[in-house]
Amino acid sequence: MNKRSSSLLGMAFFGPALVLLTIFLFVPMVLTLAFSFTDYFALNPDLTHFTGLENYIKIFKDDLFVQSFVNTVCFVLIILPCQGIGALCLALLINKVTHCKKYFKVAFFIPVVMSLAVVSTLWMQIYSPEGILNTLLGNLGIPAQPFIHSARQALPSIAVMSVWQGVGYQMIIFLGGLQAINPGLYEAAEMDHASEWQKFKDITLPELKPLCVFVFITVTIGAFRMIVQPMVMTGGGPSHSTYTMVYNIYETGTVNWEIGLASTMAIVFAIFVMVLTVIQSILTRDKEEKDVNKKTKGN
Amino acid sequence: MSFMEFKNICKKYENAERNSVMDFNLTIEEKEFIAFVGPSGCGKSTTLRMVAGFEEITSGDLYIDGKRVNDVAPKDRGIAMVFQNYALYPHMTVEKNIGYGLRNRKVPEEEVQKKVDWAIRILGLEEFRTRKPKNLSGGQRQRVALGRAIVKNQKLFLMDEPLSNLDAKLRVSMRNEISKLHRELGTTTIYVTHDQVEAMTMADRIVIMKDGVIQQAGAPMELYDHPVNKFVAGFIGSPQMNFYPVCIKDKEMRFRDGSRMKLPEKVLLRLEGRSGEMIMGIRGEDIKLDGENLKKYNDDRQRAVVENAEIMGNENNLYFTFGGSLTVARVSKYEVRMLGDDLEFVFLPEKMHFFDKDTEKAI
Amino acid sequence: MLTKKQRGINWVLTIILLVLSLFFLFPVVWMIANSFKADAAITADMNGLAAFIPPVPGKGFFDNYISILTNTNFLRYMINTLFYAAILIVCGVVVNGLAGYALAKIKFPFRERWVLLILLLQIVPMETILTIHFLMIAKVGLLNTVVGYILPMIVNPFNIFLFRQVFLNLPDDVYEAAQLDFCSPLKYFFTMVLPMSKTVVATVSVFTFLNVWNDYLWPSLVFTSSNLLTAQIGLNSITSNDNTTMGQTLAVITMVTIPVIIIYSLFSKQIVEGVTSTGSKEG
Repeated sequence: MNKRSSSLLGMAFFGPALVLLTIFLFVPMVLTLAFSFTDYFALNPDLTHFTGLENYIKIFKDDLFVQSFVNTVCFVLIILPCQGIGALCLALLINKVTHCKKYFKVAFFIPVVMSLAVVSTLWMQIYSPEGILNTLLGNLGIPAQPFIHSARQALPSIAVMSVWQGVGYQMIIFLGGLQAINPGLYEAAEMDHASEWQKFKDITLPELKPLCVFVFITVTIGAFRMIVQPMVMTGGGPSHSTYTMVYNIYETGTVNWEIGLASTMAIVFAIFVMVLTVIQSILTRDKEEKDVNKKTKGN
Repeated sequence: MSFMEFKNICKKYENAERNSVMDFNLTIEEKEFIAFVGPSGCGKSTTLRMVAGFEEITSGDLYIDGKRVNDVAPKDRGIAMVFQNYALYPHMTVEKNIGYGLRNRKVPEEEVQKKVDWAIRILGLEEFRTRKPKNLSGGQRQRVALGRAIVKNQKLFLMDEPLSNLDAKLRVSMRNEISKLHRELGTTTIYVTHDQVEAMTMADRIVIMKDGVIQQAGAPMELYDHPVNKFVAGFIGSPQMNFYPVCIKDKEMRFRDGSRMKLPEKVLLRLEGRSGEMIMGIRGEDIKLDGENLKKYNDDRQRAVVENAEIMGNENNLYFTFGGSLTVARVSKYEVRMLGDDLEFVFLPEKMHFFDKDTEKAI
Repeated sequence: MLTKKQRGINWVLTIILLVLSLFFLFPVVWMIANSFKADAAITADMNGLAAFIPPVPGKGFFDNYISILTNTNFLRYMINTLFYAAILIVCGVVVNGLAGYALAKIKFPFRERWVLLILLLQIVPMETILTIHFLMIAKVGLLNTVVGYILPMIVNPFNIFLFRQVFLNLPDDVYEAAQLDFCSPLKYFFTMVLPMSKTVVATVSVFTFLNVWNDYLWPSLVFTSSNLLTAQIGLNSITSNDNTTMGQTLAVITMVTIPVIIIYSLFSKQIVEGVTSTGSKEG
């Protein structure tokens, strides 16, 4: 096929996607950045001024934004270790056992396919003051807890629920990684009289390290993006104790129509997420390069 | 005008330093079976793909049936092609694969059916017509690919190393089948292969290429008997022709190891008085051990020790060092020699080929 | 071969995991079991194992479900969502698939740069531009329309990239053969490329379905009219109604979960592969 018709064909095939990418990704991204330097108010767009960095200073002085930021970080700090390590432990256990493997994989994965709204609604019932969880605790002699109805417990309660829902996803990723480890390594270690612990420490962990980076970063990003759970369960409360960054962006932009301010928050949020992604790609690229080296040496 | 004409065809890939195909000139007559042969990277496949229209022609003109086709889309060039990896449509049955092109051209269903049945019959695919490619053997797949090409009634078949994925035995039988098909259908065929045996056994004419340049084009025996250069001489024929750096002086040929041979008048005539260093080549079957020839060229008898013997039943290849090179002699099955045997032999002078030391062109 | 000691450890681990999985699944079991009970029964059973055991099927077994399906628009919401998912699967496979194919197999200007761009776009979190999407759709008057809901969701850089990676491995000679068989490029894409890449088409379709079915934020912004709501938004409006009993709430969320469980059981291979591939691609 000659060059010109090939170019035309390529553009024709790529065109629809490019148009949609432009309208719904490039333009919004540029607009978000542009609006973040203005006081654009959607209900009165004529009064828009360029305000420079004013919004950026404003949001960091805004107690609510700072709180939403702190809350988001708290979510990350609880969810990250629980979900990351939990998933790794589950994967290690499931990889080890020989019976009911399939059942375990399914059992721990089921919450992943359930929707955020369903899980949130379900756990609202579970966490309710006279709910099943308090009843169970009562049987153990523990007094009823307010859970999502108290400013102190709401955030950890939602975090625990998130871990419950998400852990299966990372477990599957880890299982994939474990299965990809060359069994010859373990056999060689066996010959060298390595103990189970040594095998884990010297083979499994190093082999899984890049995957761990990936999982920990994706869990962090996932927790950073938290909004639906507090939206459904607590409305961000009580007293904004579960109000997250994205929730703040959402309300500022689509409820209060303060697009300028919402854009600024969105940019700050995007910077955090992209920095995390870049860190991850740097940490894992290292490994790829080593892999390439290994391969070229092998040849 | 000939059926097909290549005029100064060149191909240069972007960012490539040199041309992949250089100044390719050739005419092909109707019903000819032409083989493009050469080592990998010689430009034979690129040339074929230019004929098909999958590669752009950088410069030059290509005519098929009197029409310049440089800018004609592949489907409009009136060609059918058989690919190296068969390129069957994996999710279609054998019948669907063969009939696909016809159906796309909106040929009436009845006629499609008739043609597909015909192709399936002559290719012996009756039992497999509803199978999918993954459930077929290599040979069967190749037959389907052939079927797909023949039903379309095109004027020109292109075959790109069609047998290279088959095992040796199957290759021989498919070779015969393709030849038979060509005889029956009479379609002009260009057949690309790196295997000179395929080219020799199937083609009416062979085009031998190296580094993008045609070395020689001609009938198989012409190439075999009269190679224009050392490359052609070495490429055609198995075992390879033996080459010796020699020095010709005073009607005598001297080898590196000091052996000498007298050159008869006929040969000297051919050399037109040239002398000095050159390359002499001789095919294994032109090295003789039998008494008659030994007697005839009594003065030029040579001696060597057999280092290796390939016993093939119908004939034997004997390896020994002579003239500073490893030499192979191809002898009949009645002339068995064992490893370590002392050997007396002569070269048939009229069968010697001489090549220029620098240009490697035939003298 | 396992030694006797290893076999012992294996059994202990299995039992630990079994217990763990029971604890883990208790919310799901509880949800399903109690979706068949009246509120009084739920409260009464709360204090014992009965909380996790559905009642004996009999009269009134499906009361919660029947009352939800007859008294609310819930069935409508489910059908809406299935309809949206179907449109988005078709549009998504066509648009992203064509783009992935172009990026993998067709030479056109700046192709490598487009690929890089698509890769980079994957790291932009959608929440960032949610507000602008909302604003855009509102400005062109597409709020509360199916088109307004669907348009921004069709193109997906991740899927484009996934398609590209798979199409890169398609053999070129089949395309050449098809050209000689008078097959147009568009026809080739639909009748050859997609059937030859069934696995990735299935993976993308399944994930598109799960995304559409489970999505909450975007439909909650676009849809206000109750005719168009998706199951998730409908579920929220039904369960936040004070007249909805606990049993009915559980029935609603069970019903919302049924389709994803069906999809999961049919396509668990694709889902697990899809999840694992995100890990192995980046890891």
